[in-house]
Amino acid sequence: MSLQKDPDHNEIKHLRTFVDFTDKRVLEIGCGEGRLTWQYAKDARSVTAVDLDTDALRIARVDRPFDLEKHIQFASANSEYLPFSKEKFDIAILAWSL
Amino acid sequence: MVHALEEIRRVLVPEGVLIDLRPLADNWRVEVVSLRETKRTGRVEDLPEQTKGDLASNEAMQEVEKRGWFKREQDELFPLFYSWDTPSEMEEFVDDDWSDFVGMEEGTRRTTRAAWAVADGDSRVRVRVEIWIARWRKTKLNLEL
Repeated sequence: MSLQKDPDHNEIKHLRTFVDFTDKRVLEIGCGEGRLTWQYAKDARSVTAVDLDTDALRIARVDRPFDLEKHIQFASANSEYLPFSKEKFDIAILAWSL
Repeated sequence: MVHALEEIRRVLVPEGVLIDLRPLADNWRVEVVSLRETKRTGRVEDLPEQTKGDLASNEAMQEVEKRGWFKREQDELFPLFYSWDTPSEMEEFVDDDWSDFVGMEEGTRRTTRAAWAVADGDSRVRVRVEIWIARWRKTKLNLEL
């Protein structure tokens, strides 16, 4: 399969014009296999990426770049019940998941 | 959806940012593209499930805005392309991965195959997906329920 998804990187370009990730604690809801996560995670202080699809999360954990291992935490979670304390994040991203 | 947005509000710091990023149903355009030219060959067909999903998401955001939980600061539509080497690979993907929310008529398939067959050697086939991005700010209102 020769699929290229967003070869022009339009998604991350637009995301960056909407939010500054520098030193921010980010919650990404609907991270899937981490396609978007890898593109902004280096700028953030920390990233918590959640999805309900455990197969996709498994791939994300395997594909996570080595230098981001301590930077990104993955969790299986439903957006209707987020297993985090209040006021823990500066930014929340609903990534193709609302 | 509203409950999920309430949860997100709970875990965000005061004046935290919520980004809503998602594709919108818009009978996405199908194109054959090379370095030299872009040729439109048709559109995918939105299925009712996709349109209903968009409507429900929009209504949920309107509801939380009405409740004063978030305030919309900025929004925009932009294109994101799915691109394949050949029309048959595109058709396989649409039929296998997108069949729950879009379809592709036989006429569009025929036109795309025909255009690709006579196009330049570097030609690819792509679908232009419309993406909605919006930035919402958690309001200062402290009406924790």
